[in-house]
Amino acid sequence: MAEERAERGSAGVEGAPVVLEMRGVTKRFGPVTANDDVSLVLHRGEILGLLGENGAGKSTLMKILYGLYSPDSGEIFVDGERVEIRDPKDAVERGIGMVHQHFTLIPRLTVAENIVLGAEPRKGITLDLEGAIKATEELSERYGLKVDPRARVADLSVGVQQRVEILKTLYREARILVLDEPTAVLTPQETEDLFSVLKELVADGLSIIFITHKLGELLGVGDRIIIIRDGHVVDTVDASKTNEGELARLMVGREVLLRVEKEESKASGETRLAAEELVVLSNTGAKAVSGVSLSVRAGEILGVAGVDGNGQTELAEALAGTRPVAGGRVYLDGEDVTSLGADARQERGLAYVPEDRASKGLVLDFHLYENNTLKTYDGPPYSRWGWIFPRIMRRRAAKTLRDYDVRPPDPDARAGSLSGGNQQKAVLARELSGDPGVIIASQPTRGVDVGAIEFIHRQLLEQRSEGKAILLISLELEEIRSLSDRIIVLYAGRVVGEVGPDATDEQLGLLMAGRE
Amino acid sequence: MSEERRQEPQERGFDLRRMLVNAGGALVFPLVAILLSFVIGAVIVMATGNNPITVYAALIGGAFGSASSIGRTLLYTTPFIFTGLAVAVAFRAGLFNIGGEGQLYIGAITAAWLGVSLGFLGPFAIPITLVACLITSFLWGSIPGILKVRFGAHEVITTIMLNYVGINLAYYLAQHLLRQRGPIPGTETIDYAVRIPIISTALGRVNYGIIIALLAAVAVLLLLWRTRRGFEIRAVGLSPGAANYAGMKLGVNTILALAIGGSLAGLGGGVEILGVYGNMDVPFVSNLGYNGIGVALLGRNHPVGVVLGALVFGGLFSGAQEMQFATDVPLQLANVLLAVILLLVTATKLVELIVGKRARDFVSGTHLERGGL
Repeated sequence: MAEERAERGSAGVEGAPVVLEMRGVTKRFGPVTANDDVSLVLHRGEILGLLGENGAGKSTLMKILYGLYSPDSGEIFVDGERVEIRDPKDAVERGIGMVHQHFTLIPRLTVAENIVLGAEPRKGITLDLEGAIKATEELSERYGLKVDPRARVADLSVGVQQRVEILKTLYREARILVLDEPTAVLTPQETEDLFSVLKELVADGLSIIFITHKLGELLGVGDRIIIIRDGHVVDTVDASKTNEGELARLMVGREVLLRVEKEESKASGETRLAAEELVVLSNTGAKAVSGVSLSVRAGEILGVAGVDGNGQTELAEALAGTRPVAGGRVYLDGEDVTSLGADARQERGLAYVPEDRASKGLVLDFHLYENNTLKTYDGPPYSRWGWIFPRIMRRRAAKTLRDYDVRPPDPDARAGSLSGGNQQKAVLARELSGDPGVIIASQPTRGVDVGAIEFIHRQLLEQRSEGKAILLISLELEEIRSLSDRIIVLYAGRVVGEVGPDATDEQLGLLMAGRE
Repeated sequence: MSEERRQEPQERGFDLRRMLVNAGGALVFPLVAILLSFVIGAVIVMATGNNPITVYAALIGGAFGSASSIGRTLLYTTPFIFTGLAVAVAFRAGLFNIGGEGQLYIGAITAAWLGVSLGFLGPFAIPITLVACLITSFLWGSIPGILKVRFGAHEVITTIMLNYVGINLAYYLAQHLLRQRGPIPGTETIDYAVRIPIISTALGRVNYGIIIALLAAVAVLLLLWRTRRGFEIRAVGLSPGAANYAGMKLGVNTILALAIGGSLAGLGGGVEILGVYGNMDVPFVSNLGYNGIGVALLGRNHPVGVVLGALVFGGLFSGAQEMQFATDVPLQLANVLLAVILLLVTATKLVELIVGKRARDFVSGTHLERGGL
């Protein structure tokens, strides 16, 4: 019977045999249905795009495939044979490999050691290190994935680390490769490299499932694209016969403005936020920011581009006052605030949208009204003589939440129960409703769905036209380009260049890779 | 303004309903655990050759069956409220205060000393002494907080170790500087004028200390949910990252939460001295502080829950005495029951199997599953 279905399923792509089928997969978490009767078919030699907003159910589906969750109902067929995948070991045995968004490599070990880890070649009772290196070289040769087996993973760039992750699955003889948001951490050039590697892999007979929420990406590389929304498969489209607009509409369920309209900058010339030769240490004590100077004027958005981990987080925290500086000065409206804490800077009109809303922006187990007053709880009208007044907090929060379209706008809802996009809107509501003069927005749309992105972008531009000075830090080049008036690029903790919003991908990409 | 006012009655009804639903949810877990532990206890009782029904009748009758047994239960409940609160306040800041025992001894020795030396003040010495207990144990409780903030010493280790220091410091003082004349080691007996009075002779020895304990629970309730400090403590406990980002001082809140916890346990020690014992004998009553951990666990670190949890502990200890008289089952069965209750309360996965997964998310309040120890 499985054979029969396999035949039918293969009708779509040039008669190649079906290597994987998921049929009628349903998974519920309490009252939430993450996957509702989801079916998909993957052919040999195919790159299948899995597109959906955050929380649409893409990751849940793949976690089911990899044995991390068990489905409530539904079946999985590998090479036409019905299989039960109880844990990742089962998945690996069936030739399914997964490259997670966050790598699972051990930085102190070498490439070869990482690749064989858990399935090491042995010589008697000792580890056969030479064998490991040889195996790595062979794989690397065969699939055209260039790596140095003896290099320590900690010394490799993110793009190469990802390559090691892929080799790790190939070493375990994966025939089906699942990549979860693989381009999130890559420069445009590294992304290009990844795509050519993937094309070689499928030419070699592998099949790939490529999870993403970036619209454009799959058009160049995928064969078919499955769009998931609210746990349902809404459509399957041919990658060569679609466009970003159609994908966005399918993904969100309505027409979406992909590029925000931006008015002419009204930058008044008066500098509101400035940093001078700023030096900031990372948590490990290394220099994360080494001598950054910048200034943001009223009415402009200064974009900070760069690959993740080049000092953006530390820069934002040092400017906002949640991380001490090791050198240099920070100025707010001309006043030296270097020695002031986050609360004092906030009182002087600085708003900070942190990149990590789950562990910094919000107390997930607090109600929304408590989160809404997380920075203002200690003054009137919320507090007097050491007491706080939850009723007033609640009432004000109800209004703010409605203004910023947070769903549900219930001040008593737990912050953690909201979707990522709504959590971010709640953070924005708190930060922007206090009418700040300076806004630091660190990856304000990370992990946020397309609809919410549109809303957040519009809010930022509105603040800009009100004469606020905005520092926008983002990993999404498109976002930086469409919102910023000027763009600086961070590389290894330094500003390596400043360009206008009309800079090309190539220009920015080279700067992001540290080539000035 | 008028619009705001119009919303209020509706809002109030909503609040009340939400509160009841939350309270109902919070009670599911401990109640299921208590019921299950009684079932398991019944098996143990049968294994000892007794009839579980008569044993439980004696146990419950001994705890709540008459005015005098209720009085005894309340007498036992009082210190558990204090030590349970000591754990709960610290837990709200994300800290494990295992130091209740030592903190209680510091409070107790303070009361044993001032109760005698301020004896000339008569009843006026009582409030002064209790405030002194709060202060000494507040300072004592701040030690692990300071060690954590300044040197990164984990509070579990330091509070456990400080128990030994606190207990033996109290014993040293009781046996040397404050020693009474006579052969029995311990402090001098406090004059009856300086004792916390008993409530009614019908209720036995239970004194107004239980009222002080209930007031302490109300104070903690207000502290945590109606004050700036409490807001900060809870934010720090639930998400240090977000609290830091919001400009709250992590160190100050860490020290204060442990110190406030310490002062509550110390007040409990003072109430025991002035209300029950009248002096500190060597050895003094033990395990009141340690049992506070179980009380807080059972009460899900909520002041109201702590009072109820303390009542369960007090009731079991009190009923077990009656049970021992009426049956062949030894006193230790009460301890076994308590241990099983606590095992079940912490075994969230097990209760999840029984009452369902949704209920677990619904009532989860302790965040034990997130680890942290």
